[in-house]
Amino acid sequence: MNYSLIIVEITAVLIGLGVLMTDLWISPAARKGLGYAAAVAVGCLLAFATGSLAPQHGLGFRDSFVVDDLARFFKAFFLFGAIVVILMTVEFSSRIASGLSEFFALVIFALVGMLFAASANDLVLLFVSLELITVTFYILTSFQRNRLASLEAGVKYLILGAVASAFMVFGIALIFGSANSTNFRVIAAHQTELATSPVFLLGLLLVLAGLGFKIAAFPFQAWAPDVYQGSPAPATAFLAVGSKAAGFVLLIRLLTQAVPQITAEWSRLLVVMSAATIIYGSLCAIPQRNLKRLMGYSSIANAGYLLLGIVAMSRSGSTAILFYLGGYFFTVLAAFTAMSALAEHIETDEIAGLAGLGRRSPFLAATLTLSLVSLAGIPPMVGFFGKVLLLRSVFESAPGRPDLYLLLGIAVIGVVISLYYYFGVIRSIYWGGSTPNLAPIRTSLGTKVALGTCIAGMVFLGIAPNGYLRIAETAIGGIDSAAGRLKSPALKKVSAHEAH
Amino acid sequence: MNVGLQHYLIVSGLLFSIGLLGVVIRRNLIVIFMSLELMLNAANLSLVAFSRYNSNLDGQVMVFFTITVAAAEVAVGLALIVALYRKRQTAHVEDLTTLKF
Repeated sequence: MNYSLIIVEITAVLIGLGVLMTDLWISPAARKGLGYAAAVAVGCLLAFATGSLAPQHGLGFRDSFVVDDLARFFKAFFLFGAIVVILMTVEFSSRIASGLSEFFALVIFALVGMLFAASANDLVLLFVSLELITVTFYILTSFQRNRLASLEAGVKYLILGAVASAFMVFGIALIFGSANSTNFRVIAAHQTELATSPVFLLGLLLVLAGLGFKIAAFPFQAWAPDVYQGSPAPATAFLAVGSKAAGFVLLIRLLTQAVPQITAEWSRLLVVMSAATIIYGSLCAIPQRNLKRLMGYSSIANAGYLLLGIVAMSRSGSTAILFYLGGYFFTVLAAFTAMSALAEHIETDEIAGLAGLGRRSPFLAATLTLSLVSLAGIPPMVGFFGKVLLLRSVFESAPGRPDLYLLLGIAVIGVVISLYYYFGVIRSIYWGGSTPNLAPIRTSLGTKVALGTCIAGMVFLGIAPNGYLRIAETAIGGIDSAAGRLKSPALKKVSAHEAH
Repeated sequence: MNVGLQHYLIVSGLLFSIGLLGVVIRRNLIVIFMSLELMLNAANLSLVAFSRYNSNLDGQVMVFFTITVAAAEVAVGLALIVALYRKRQTAHVEDLTTLKF
C-alpha cells in the first residue's frame, strides 16, 4: 500500500475533522473566522496538490486508485471550487440558522469524495466516492431546515438519488458477474469479449444511469430544478460545479478509458441522450419565473452540451469538456455568489424581484449580466469559446456519422433558445418594472474579491484561452482513448509488471 | 433440485423489481425508503451470488461497502424525513408541493 498516493485526500479529511473539532472550543461569533481558516487550509492544499511535491503519476491500492494528469487536473479544479464555496458560505452565514461549522466540514467531506472520484479506476471506488458526494449533498441541500423548500428539496434529492445509487450497485453487480473484476483496466483488456455479453451491457447501462443522474442528463434530470431552487445558494453552487464535474470525470474514465469500443457502438444512445437533454433543459427554462430554478434547467441544458464532448469520442472532445467545465466553474460561481449576496436584500428568488438592481447595485447587476451572457455563449466570454470547442469536436467526428449533424443542429437551436431566457433575466435587472425599494445594496470586501476573481476568470479565459486549453490538452493527453490504456511511462511499467 | 447461480439472480432481479415498484407506486416516504433498501439488498444478493460462483471474493467486499453506504444513507434519510414531519406534519409525497413552477 502506497499511502503517499492519497496524501491530498488524507489531508483534506484531516482539515474537515479539524474544522469539526475546533468548533467545540470557539465561540459562535468566531465561526466565520473558522470558515476563513478552512478556506486558507484548503488553499494551502491546492498549492501543494498543484506543486511538484504531490504525487505525479502512480497506480495503487490494487489498481483501484490512479494518479495521472487527468486526476490532478480535476483535483485542482475541485479544491479551487471548495475554496470559493467556503468563502461564499461565510457571506451567506446570516441565512444559516445553526451549524455553520458543520456546513464548512460537510463541504470539505464532499470535496474528499470528489478528490477520490477524480482518481477512481475501479467501480467500487467509483461507487463509494459518488455516494460520499451524494450523501453529503443530501444534508447540504436541506441545511436550512427551518425553510420548507430546503427540506423538501433534500427529501426529493434523497429519494431520487437513492434510486440512482441502487441502479448503480445492481449495474456494478452485473458487471462484476460478467467481467469477474471491477477494475477499469481489466475491463478494458477484455472489452472485446465483454461487448457480446448481454449481462455486461445491461450492467454498464445501469451504471450509466447512475452517472447520468449525477450530471442531470435526460431522462434522469427530474431532481435538478427542485434541488437547485430549494438548496441554500452555496450548496447549489457546489452541486452545479463540483458534483457535475465529478460525474463527468467518471464518465470520461469509464467511457473513453475502460470501454471505448462499446461506447463507439452505443454512440446513437449517447447522441439521443445529449440531444434530449439540451432540448428538455432549453424548452423548460423558458417559462421559469424563479432565478434558481432557471439555473437548474440551465444546468440540465449545459449537461447536454458537455455530453457533446463524450459523443465526439475523440481527444479534442474530452479536452473541450475540460475547457467548458473550467469556464462553467467561473460563470456559475459568479452567478451564485451574486445571488447569495443579494439574498439578504431581496426577499424572493423571483426574476421579477431583480427589478431595479441595475440602480441598487451596479456591480452585482454587472456580475449577474456577465455570467448570464457567458452562459448564453456570447463572445468574448468564456462560454462562447467552450461551446465552439465542443461543437467543433463533434463536427470533426461527424463525417461518416450522419446523426451527428442533426445533433449539431439541435445544439445550435438550444443556444438560440437560451439567448431568449437568459436575456429575460437581464431585461428584468435593468429594465424591470417599477420597484418600491431603491436602497443601494452594499457588498462586503470578501464578496467583491470572489466576484472579481470569477469575472476575471470568465473574461480572461474567453480572450486568452490558449494557456488553459494547453493544460486541458495535457490532462487528456495521458489517456489513449483508442487503446483504453494509460500512456504515462510510470504506469506502463506497472502494467507490464501486472501482465506478467 | 439444484440451486444454481441462475436461481439467485432470478430472486435478486425479482427483489429489485419489487423494490422499484414500491418506490414508484407507494406514497408514504418511510415505505418508499424501505423499498429503496430492498433494491440495494437485491443488488447485494447478486454480488454475493456472483462472488460465490466466480470464486472471487471482491464481490463480497463490495457488499460491505454497499451496506456501509446504505447505513449512512438511512441515517441521513430518516433524519430528513423526521425534520420534514416536524415542519409539515406529513410523510406523504403528495404533500411535497412547495417547489413547483
